[in-house]
Amino acid sequence: MFELDLRSRKPIYEQLVDKLKELIINDVLRVDEKLPSVRTLAQQLTINPNTIQKAYRELESQAYIYSIKGKGSFVNALAKNENVEELEKMKDELKKLIAEALFLGLSTSDLYSLIDEVDDVVGGGYTND
Amino acid sequence: MININNVSKDFERSVVLKDVSLHVNQGSIYGLLGSNGAGKTTLLKIATGILQQDHGEVVVNEQVIFENPHIKNNVVFIPDVLYFFSQYTVIQMAKFYEDIYSNWNAERFAKLQQLFGLDVNKKIQRFSKGMQRQVAFWLALSAMPDVLVLDEPFDGLDAVIRQKIKNLIIQDVADREMTVIISSHNLREVEDICDHIGILHQGSLILEKDLDDLKSDIHKVQIAFKDGLPTELFNHLDVLHKDQRGSVLLCIIRGKDQDIAKHISQYKPVVYDLLPLTLEEIFIYEMGGVGYAIENVLV
Repeated sequence: MFELDLRSRKPIYEQLVDKLKELIINDVLRVDEKLPSVRTLAQQLTINPNTIQKAYRELESQAYIYSIKGKGSFVNALAKNENVEELEKMKDELKKLIAEALFLGLSTSDLYSLIDEVDDVVGGGYTND
Repeated sequence: MININNVSKDFERSVVLKDVSLHVNQGSIYGLLGSNGAGKTTLLKIATGILQQDHGEVVVNEQVIFENPHIKNNVVFIPDVLYFFSQYTVIQMAKFYEDIYSNWNAERFAKLQQLFGLDVNKKIQRFSKGMQRQVAFWLALSAMPDVLVLDEPFDGLDAVIRQKIKNLIIQDVADREMTVIISSHNLREVEDICDHIGILHQGSLILEKDLDDLKSDIHKVQIAFKDGLPTELFNHLDVLHKDQRGSVLLCIIRGKDQDIAKHISQYKPVVYDLLPLTLEEIFIYEMGGVGYAIENVLV
C-alpha cells in the first residue's frame, strides 16, 4: 500500500500517521472504508505491530478513523477542521515567500494587488464552494 | 510479562551486573543495546533462568523463572553461540524439542521447512553458520513460545533471510502477543522492529524507554541570527549539546518539537531547521554524559 523510510529520522509511527492521513485526505481511502488490519500491515511493512496500533490510536484520537470492536478500523467522515493543519503549513510557507519578496523589493501595495489579481481568477469558485 | 528487579551478578571478583531493573510488557519487542562487555548476554541468561542472579528477582509471567520448568516451557532462548547435539540431524533435533516443549507445532515446523528450504535429514553441524542460525529460528518458532529471547540473533544472516525472520517474529507478535527480547550492538538492525529500548553500559541500565518517545523527545536544531545570538535564547530549553559552525549554531535540545519551535521563533531566527535524531545520534549524546565514546563502537 505504501512504503516507509526506515532510515528516516522521523519516528516510524509518525510516518505512518502522516501517510494514512494523506491517503484519507486525498480520498484514496474513502469514508467507511476498512483500513488494513494491524497484523496485515505489520507483516507487509515488517514493522512492529505495536507501532501500528499506536498510529491507529493517534488517528482515532484525531478523528480521522473510528474503530469497531472485533471488526477493525474505518475511515471517518471527515470533519471540517481537517484542513487546519494544512492551512497552518501553507501560512508558514506564504510567510516565507512574502518575506523573500519584500526583501527583493516588492512593496506591500504590490502584494495587495497581487492578492486581488489571484482572487479574481479563483475567487468565484471559492465563494460558491 | 518480564520483570527484572534490582538484579546484580558477579563472576569471581568481576562485577558484571549492578542493580539492573528491566521491564518488558507482553507483546512487546524489546531491544537490549549496549557496548561489548556491557553484560547483555549475562542479563539475558538470568532473564531466561539459565544463570542465577546474586541479588534481586526475576519474574516471568508472575512466577520466578529459575528452575521453574512450567515457565520455561514457554520460553525459548537462542544464544549468540549456537549449540546443537553433535551428529544430530534437523529432524532428530526437532524430535528433542518436541519432547521438551509441550506447545510444539509440527504443522508449523513443516511449513517453515518450505520457507527455509533446508534438508531435514542433514546433520546440523554440516550446515554453514548462517544456515545453523536458520535452524535455530526454525526450531524456536515451531516451539510456539510466549517469550522469545534472542542474543545477537542476526549475526551471519544475509539480508533476505534477516527480513524473513523479522517477518516471522512480527507475525507471532501480532497473532499471539509473543514477547521478544533482542540484544544487539547494532542499532540499525533493531531500530525498525523494536518498540522499547534499554541501554546497558558497564553493567548498569542507563536508559529504558519507548523508542518513539525517545525519538520525538530529542531534536537537532540549526539556527542562525542576523545580529548575533540573543542571550536569553536558551533560558527555557534543555540543551544537551552546542556546536557553533560559522554563523550557524547547531544544538541538541530535549523537549517536544512544538515547544522548541514556539520558543525559538520568538527570537526571529533567519535560519531555523528542526530535525529528529537518528537512534545512533541519540546514543552518542545520551551516552556522552556517561563518558563513553560510543560512536566508535556502535556502527
